[in-house]
Amino acid sequence: MEEDEFPIGLKILVVDDDETCLFILERMLQSLKYQVTKCRGAEEALCILREDKGKFDIVISDVHMPTMEEGFKLLETVGLEMKLPVIMMSSDDNHETMKKGIIHGACDYLVKPFQRTALRLIWQHVVRNRRNMVALAAAVAEPKSCVLVEDDDDDDLVASPAKKRRRLVWTAQLHHQFVTAVNQLGHKSTYYECFTN
Amino acid sequence: MDKNQSRRQVRLMRQSLFDQGFLDEQFIQLEELQDDSNPNFVEEIATSYYRDSYRSLQAIELALEKTPRDFSKLDSYMHQFKGSSSSIGAKKVKAECQQFREYCDAGNGEGCMRTFQALKKEHATLKKRLEAYFQMARQAGPIEAACRPK
Repeated sequence: MEEDEFPIGLKILVVDDDETCLFILERMLQSLKYQVTKCRGAEEALCILREDKGKFDIVISDVHMPTMEEGFKLLETVGLEMKLPVIMMSSDDNHETMKKGIIHGACDYLVKPFQRTALRLIWQHVVRNRRNMVALAAAVAEPKSCVLVEDDDDDDLVASPAKKRRRLVWTAQLHHQFVTAVNQLGHKSTYYECFTN
Repeated sequence: MDKNQSRRQVRLMRQSLFDQGFLDEQFIQLEELQDDSNPNFVEEIATSYYRDSYRSLQAIELALEKTPRDFSKLDSYMHQFKGSSSSIGAKKVKAECQQFREYCDAGNGEGCMRTFQALKKEHATLKKRLEAYFQMARQAGPIEAACRPK
């Protein structure tokens, strides 16, 4: 998808065991220029998603299909396996159900019946999810190392020739050097005391 | 009846569906989704709803006849039915669904039975009114875009 066309053409998988609701949702999303694939239940949804993991940008699913278990199971699986954002929807506006949805990983919970305008900004969840995935991948890929590392020749700390900025991890060695520096410079406030204890 | 008269008739029929509480705002959402590439969208949705709801009502009827009554199951069926009824803006049907669910919560079998009869009646009445409206609308030809009821 071209960046400047975004969010036009966003690929959405819609899951609901109620055919009437599916038709209406499909039409609403199409009117917003999203690309829609419909399916009737969790099992079908997972088949479709597993067939081509990269095909969809976001999933919108009903909670009760016909019970809550199906809906929440799908939500968790899609989040863990496909790492896609999932919006839950239901005519159940019970706070406990909504809370359960968010806890299980839904990025939003829409109460039916909703208007077309409720769907206008769902692309934001796609952007947010992508950013989170990139940050997560970067954190996992990077080894846990300090920005400041010991030079091979002497004990001086030098900046690591990392191609990208690394996260600082406070090691025991760093702590020792910090305390030494503070003692040499002298305590100016009790702020430093917490580090030396 | 000439075109103008037909169209006026269609407008009046539509207005009365709202005034008499058969339909709510959600129906207008459907009308707004109708356009040149989807010229019969509202009627298609109504057809889909009535096709599906026939099955739902049968399931509820069967469940009501069972003893002892499984109120949890009845509530689950009705939750589903309420969801699709509200999606087309079926206001009176939705109200009966809500009443039914309250009787389920209270474990009131008689209340459920009474409400179910009222629900079927509203469901059938709306079907007749919508069929007449759609037929008239088809005869009259395209009318102006949906407008909110006064």
